[in-house]
Parts: sequence; structure tokens; C-alpha cells
Amino acid sequence: MPSDATPLDRRQRGALRLAALLAAAVGGIALLGRRADPAAQPLPPPAAAGGALTLGAVIALTGNANLYGQDQRLGIGLAERWAADRARRDPAAFPRPVLLSLEDGASDEQSAIAAFNLMLRRGVVALIGPTLSQQAFAADPIAQRRGVPVVAPSNTAKGIPQIGHFISRVSAQSSVIAPLSIEEALQRDPGLSRVAVFYAQDDAYSTAEVAIFQKALTAKGLRPVSVQRTQLGQNDFQSAITAVLPLRPQLVVISAQAVDGGNLIRQLRELGYRGQIVVGNGLNTPNIYPICQRWCDGILIAQAYSPDLDTPINRAFLALHRRSKGEAPPSQLTAQAWTAYQVLFEAIQRLQRGGGLQGVSLAEARRRLMTELLSGRYDTPLGPIRFSPEGEVIQGRFFVAEVRMGPGGRDGKFTLVRERSLEEGGG
Amino acid sequence: MMESLLQTLLNGVASGGVYALVALGYTLVFSVLGVINFAQGALFSLGGYATYLLMGGRIGVNGAWPGLGLPVALPFGLALLLAALLTALASLLVERVAFAPLRRRGAEPLQSLITSLGAGVVLVNLLQILMGAEGYAFPDGAGALAGLPDMVMLGGARIRTIQLLLLAICAGAVLLLSLWLERSRGGKALRAVAEDFTTARLLGIDSDAMVRLAFALSGVLAGLGGGLVGLSVSLTGPYFGISYGLKGLAVLVLGGLGSVPGAIAGGLLMGLAEALVPADASGWRDALAFAILFGVLLLRPGGLLGRVQVDKV
Repeated sequence: MPSDATPLDRRQRGALRLAALLAAAVGGIALLGRRADPAAQPLPPPAAAGGALTLGAVIALTGNANLYGQDQRLGIGLAERWAADRARRDPAAFPRPVLLSLEDGASDEQSAIAAFNLMLRRGVVALIGPTLSQQAFAADPIAQRRGVPVVAPSNTAKGIPQIGHFISRVSAQSSVIAPLSIEEALQRDPGLSRVAVFYAQDDAYSTAEVAIFQKALTAKGLRPVSVQRTQLGQNDFQSAITAVLPLRPQLVVISAQAVDGGNLIRQLRELGYRGQIVVGNGLNTPNIYPICQRWCDGILIAQAYSPDLDTPINRAFLALHRRSKGEAPPSQLTAQAWTAYQVLFEAIQRLQRGGGLQGVSLAEARRRLMTELLSGRYDTPLGPIRFSPEGEVIQGRFFVAEVRMGPGGRDGKFTLVRERSLEEGGG
Repeated sequence: MMESLLQTLLNGVASGGVYALVALGYTLVFSVLGVINFAQGALFSLGGYATYLLMGGRIGVNGAWPGLGLPVALPFGLALLLAALLTALASLLVERVAFAPLRRRGAEPLQSLITSLGAGVVLVNLLQILMGAEGYAFPDGAGALAGLPDMVMLGGARIRTIQLLLLAICAGAVLLLSLWLERSRGGKALRAVAEDFTTARLLGIDSDAMVRLAFALSGVLAGLGGGLVGLSVSLTGPYFGISYGLKGLAVLVLGGLGSVPGAIAGGLLMGLAEALVPADASGWRDALAFAILFGVLLLRPGGLLGRVQVDKV
């Protein structure tokens, strides 16, 4: 039977049907998504199945920041053992089980973003990481948008806590620490006037840190005779060094990542530089020893951690570290990674004891955890710390260390040369 | 002024020598097969790690077995030679897996290029699994040059002794290879295959054997390069050969695809171009080097010493 409808009517009806179908599909997907979203689910009681909360850790296990990631994996693992031991001995004080989910954030922004997204899908209550500041600027906004607390164990560039109110760090920013090593170099040689600066121009952390070094130099009336820009992954510095040496620098300041910086130090020494060397946080790991070997000897570095700190928590940390790594002293990165886990673990337990996790959804638990985290005080291997309302760490003690290499130049130690107490560490 | 010029020349020649070595590896394979072996950078990394292990270096197997190593600690020269031979074997394996099956099927060169890229990725990832991503410095470090100073002054210019050694070995390897290609029966056969694969076969030359020889030689060059650079600047992770591989590729194009003198000239030119970048702008070295490559190709599309291929109808 022929229809009365014109072709135009038929097309309109067809379009309306298609639109209704699409709307229903979108609604259905949204509903399913809402049901599947772990953040919308209420938390089970601590003793029930699934009552454990999961902390996600995204650290660099591959790529050029892998050296840092290895130290951090160790620190988080040791803290997990320490926390589990405390919970076993005193279940009433630590009622909520905490699990750890570790993921490789590699050394680039895309991998960190992918790992953060994976962790959020797994329904973690908070995140530790990522390893590099450059990765944090890319990945932290994702956690911020989803309302997931992030504790950065090693991001020291300016502006990390300012990414959002769910972002905090236990790594004091470079502006607090870096100038201390310049002061030490000047105390050793008050007459020094010629300074050369090397920094990795394609690394957010190094560019931020070198600005702080330059500011500290200017404050002391020193103007660099040369500023050399290097690149991440560069390993041949012959041209840059031979351009600098005729200017007869008395102090070389380096802001670079561990492998690049280690190679730079080695080549500086091999090409005849005998003056002082101050390095930034990127070289704050014993993993530089195999790279610059005997040439590492004497470099100065300001640190947020010293194995010589004599407190019960640092002794516990050192004992566990010794069991795992023998007599080699722990690195700052290991201590900071431990601290990131510790502050989250203690904040979760405080919140649980105060009833703050009862009957709330995971999303609400994350919000409350962030508030609890920022309001607490923590006795950590770094010394006593707390947070500013913005999420910046406030740390009282800092250290200046000098690398002393053993005979043969294969093993070394960051030897404490000066301890500095600052009323306010964060900024 | 003269000191500064000499310093620039030394800096350029030191890095250019390594680039030439890598580019020669590409050139050998390209000249006989007409395709680029993208696994060359990975073989470069393998050469570095093999030398390190043969010198008694310890690895961590990604943290699983810290302190693992071979029960030998050979002197640097011997370790370097053995590592070069091992890399040659790995290169032959790459040929067997990534090139030979496609060649037998008469596949397009682009397909071999992709399979070689795959072989390179697999090789680097295997290295990462075995060695971990951490950096390693050669045991005994500069002890490979025991008794010598860390640095040598030449007319007021400074050069690290290790780099002088590197340069000397690179120059020796390039010279030996050039002489062998020019004067020996095997070298002439290889050049004949490079000129025309089928005609060479008709003339009684075992073309497949020559292809394998080209891969073995390119593996030796990659192994030598990896070991020497590893000694000079340490092994900075399994990917360290890839950046040299990319630079070698640029040199290959700059010098002229398939041209041995072109690879040497291109390597030196690339090294000098990088050294000429003002020190304050050292971060722009790669950009300038590739800008020169771009400029040369605009003026001479076949590269410095290459020939423009004309398609015959």
C-alpha cells in the first residue's frame, strides 16, 4: 500500500528514531559506567572481603629515570614491610589493611598518564608518583580532576602542589635545598668568582632547578662566566667542556639527570677541571657512582635526607634497608619514597580510627584522606614533616653532603658535611 | 684563535669518527641489498654490553640477580674483538630472520625495512630484560689505558685519551675495510654484488654468501662502535645505540646511500658541523646537523658522494 508520507517526512522520522536510539545508548552507557565506577561504590568494612584500600605507585622502572625508580621501588617496598609489621603487632592502631599496586610510569609523560589512568580504573585510594616533575605536570591534572590524592616522592620543580588541591609532595622543592650547596662551596673557597653552569635544557626539573642555582649565585654576587645547555640523553660533552675550560672556572654547577650528569662530571675531570663541583638533585643517587666512578669524588650536593639522622624511625628504615641492600647507605630518593608511603598509610589509619571511612564511597574517602593527610604531622626518616594547606612539604632539617669514593672508585658514600635547620622548608 | 680552531676540529673528528663507523655498517648492507638495516643501532648497543660483560662487568638482570656476570675478565682489546664477533653473529641472525625470508619471496624493500626495525626493537628489549635499564661503566674504566694520562694536549687543544684511542680504532677499521673492499678478491666480489645482484650471480659469485658477509661486517663495525663508545662515555641504557643509529642513518644519507667514501666524509662532516655549533647553543647541535643534511640534499639529492638513481623504463 502506498504511504502518504513524503520522502522528507520519512527522513525526519528516521532521524528522530536514530537520535532516540543514540540517546538511549548514551544513557545506558553512562548508567553502566556509573555502576562500574569504583569511586561510586561504598567502602566495605576493614575486616570484610575487599576492605583493604589500595595505594597506587607510578614510578619510573624503565627509561632514563629508571635509576631513580629503582631507588623509589625499594623505598616503597621497605615502607610497606614496615607498615605491615606495625599493623600485625598492633591491629587496633592500624585497623584498615592497605595494599600496594605498582605500575611502571617509565620516564616520559605519555607513560605516566597511561599508568595514572590504569590506577584510577583499579580504584586506588591515593597515588604515589610520578618520578619526574615533567611527568607530574602532565599526569597530576588527571588525578586532580578525578579527586584522587597524589603524594609526589621526588618532584622538586616549582609549581607541583599548585596543580591542584589533591596534589602534595614530600620532596622539598629545589629553591629550599639547592642554595645550601652553593653556600658550602663559597665557605670552602670564599675567593671564588668564576662559575660555569651546565643544565639539561629539555628537562623541566633541570630548567627549574638551574634558575634557583642562578638566583643563589646572584645573591652571592656571582655571575656565571658560561652557561652551557645540554640535552637529556646526551653523553658526549667534549665541545661544551672545552668551551668552558679556557674561561678558568673555579666552580661548576650542574643540573642534570643522573646518567648525563655522571658522564659530564667524568669528562670534566678527564679534561683537566680540578675546581669544585656542585650538583643538583638529579644526581642525588648512589647510582651515579658506577657512571663517574673515581671522578665523583668531592662533588657537593644539598640533600633532604641523611642516613646519619639519629631518630627511631630512621633507624628502623636503615635496619630494613640494610637487610635488603647490605651496608650500602640508602639514597634520598629511597627515603622520600618510604616517606610518601608512610604519610598515606598513617593518614588512612587515623581516618579509619576516627570513623571517617565508615559507610562512605571511595570518592568521599579520597576527599577525606586528602584533608587528613594535610592536617597531620609525621615523624619520618627525613625528620619531622608536615604539609602546608597547599600540599607543600614543610621540613625542618636539610643537609649538605660530599661524595667520597672508596679505593678503586667503584663504591662511594654521600658524607654529611653540614646540617641546616630551617624553620620552614616548604615554599 | 688557532687553538680554538684546532679544538673544534678535534671535537668534530672525534665524534665524526664514530658516526662514520655506524654509517659504514648501514652502507655495507644497503650497497648489496638496497635496504636500510634499522637494527644497526640495536647491534651497536649489543656490542657495548658484550664488551662490558667480557671485561668482567656485572649486571643486575633488572634487579633479579644483582652482581651477575661472566666468569672471565678479559683485557679491553680482546673483549672488544670478541664482542665485535658476537655482534657479527647477531647481525647474521638478523639477516636470517628479518631479511632472508623476504628476499626469497621477492618482497618489496620497504617490507625488509619494517622487519629490520622489528628485529632492532626485539633486540633492545631483550637487552633491557637481561641488563636492566641502569647505566654501567666499564670495569677498570680508564684502566683500559693504564699508565696513560686522562687527557692529551695537542697544540693547546684538549682531547681525552679514550677519545684518541676511539678515533684511532675507528680510523683503522675504516682503512682496513676500504682496503679490503678495494683490493681483495672478497671485497671485489662484494662490490660486484652491490653493483648488480643477478649479474654477479651469473658470473659465479655466491651472492647470498656475499649478503651474509655484508651483514657480518656491518655487525663487526656496530660491535666495535658500541664497545668503544661504551668505554668512552659508559653504557647509558639499552637504548644508547639507537641515538647513534639515527645519527648514522643521517650520515648515510648525507654521504650518499651505498657510498663507502661518502659514509666517511658524511660522518666527519656531521661531527664537524656539531662541533661548530657555538658552545652556548650546544642544545641546538642536532638541529644544526640536520639542517646541514637538509641543505646538502637540496643541492645534491644523491648525497655528497652518492649517485642519483635513475629509474629505467
